[in-house]
Amino acid sequence: MEFLQQLEQNGFLVWVREGGSLWGYPTILFLHTLGLATVAGMNAGINLRLLGFAPRVPIAPLTRFYPVIWAAFGVTAASGVTLLAADATTKLASPVFYVKMAFIVLALVVLQMVRKRVLQDPLVDTRPLPGAAKTLALVSLFFWIAATTAGRLMAYIGPVSGLE
Amino acid sequence: MTLAHLHLLLNHVPTIGTAIAIALLILTVVRKHDALRRVSLELFCMIALFTIPAYLSGIGTEVRLREMTGISPILVSRHHDAALQSSFLMLITGTFAWFGLWQFRRAGRQTLFNTAVVLLLSLGTMGLMARAASMGGEIRHPEILADLIAEGEVPLDETGAPIDVTAEPGAQDGTALDDGAGVAAVPDPGMFTAAGIAKLVNERVWLWPAMETLHFIGLWLLFGIVLLVHLRMLGLMQQTSFAALHRLLPWAALGLLLNTITGMGFIIANPADYLSWPFYTKIGLLVLAGISLIYFTVFDGPWSVGAGSKVPMRVQAMAATTIALWVGVMYFGRMLPFLGMAF
Repeated sequence: MEFLQQLEQNGFLVWVREGGSLWGYPTILFLHTLGLATVAGMNAGINLRLLGFAPRVPIAPLTRFYPVIWAAFGVTAASGVTLLAADATTKLASPVFYVKMAFIVLALVVLQMVRKRVLQDPLVDTRPLPGAAKTLALVSLFFWIAATTAGRLMAYIGPVSGLE
Repeated sequence: MTLAHLHLLLNHVPTIGTAIAIALLILTVVRKHDALRRVSLELFCMIALFTIPAYLSGIGTEVRLREMTGISPILVSRHHDAALQSSFLMLITGTFAWFGLWQFRRAGRQTLFNTAVVLLLSLGTMGLMARAASMGGEIRHPEILADLIAEGEVPLDETGAPIDVTAEPGAQDGTALDDGAGVAAVPDPGMFTAAGIAKLVNERVWLWPAMETLHFIGLWLLFGIVLLVHLRMLGLMQQTSFAALHRLLPWAALGLLLNTITGMGFIIANPADYLSWPFYTKIGLLVLAGISLIYFTVFDGPWSVGAGSKVPMRVQAMAATTIALWVGVMYFGRMLPFLGMAF
């Protein structure tokens, strides 16, 4: 707890939180939104393809989108860590935060499972998709919806700071 | 130019536009002219897009009008409710019309079901729009209020004064109606009215966070599909034809509809918080991005991009512009609490 309080007093984090600059808290929050929209959204598109929509889109080349997804995740994670550190004592005391983290970890695991088990299967575009691929896609959509919901609820449930 | 000017100007798009588009739709169905029928569907989509700023500029005008004396808040409320209902139906009509365009592109024809739904919805919209327009015109005519009271259309309190169920448009916490006398005299504003929706959203504490969550899910659904389709146009995943990715576009349209409806809910509940330049910028970018969605749904340029084929420069430029527009919509939405000092 003492460490967290010291962390929050870090010069950069104080500026982010209290500097009143558009480039501080607001811009970092926007980058977090942009990153999550890219990660969860492109992931949703891939899942919808696996669920049978857009059946003429070849599945194997969808791996081309993974570098974009992971780059966007980098932006989301970096902005998220900054937002967390600037408000650590409040956010780390919120149970909803841990629920959100759990869903994100699960969602990322499924994201990689989809790549390894489905997209990189050499026979994927030559035969009907196995049922397991559709299950993965549904589970993945559920985890991102759950993570988004938990993220939004952090502003309402449990300890909430003045920061939005 | 003020918001009121803009409102008076934009009003004509849904009122007159709907009538023109309906006439064109009926004519082209009778004459079996598919190309022109697509034009009528495109018109419905464009009208639906411009209905968003038409409705919102009305909210801005309403907030100003309520600060003035000599304007009957009851006539303003009646117009607002009629406009809300007609705008909502216009958005649904536009969504079905968009789906008809998508069917035309995908299968070369619009299903009979879609044609019938668009026709019925648009006729309903036209009726509601005409009603909203006539009530809007009445706002500057106080003599009409007397007629309405005589007809029993407006409830009166015990002193004989007309009751305005939305007397506190700025009330954000739902407590305004609870203090003071005469609480029992305030009638239920009804479900599908601005006051009713504001009351619902402000009274149910879970509803606002639930709407925000849906707004975020709609945002990533829309943006993710936009990225997949447009990054293909910009050179990623060239093994895929545009026609194959086109099948994902209804999910983007679904995200857009979800966010337009939840967004309207936010604004109806707290209108004063959304009267700022970043919000107007967001709506302007949204209309442009919506036009781009129509472009990618119907135009030959993107449609002719086959598997492995090169993308024409102008299609690439449209794809890059579209991504930038949606990023802009998100930027100004996220910045609402910080720019222009709304909230």
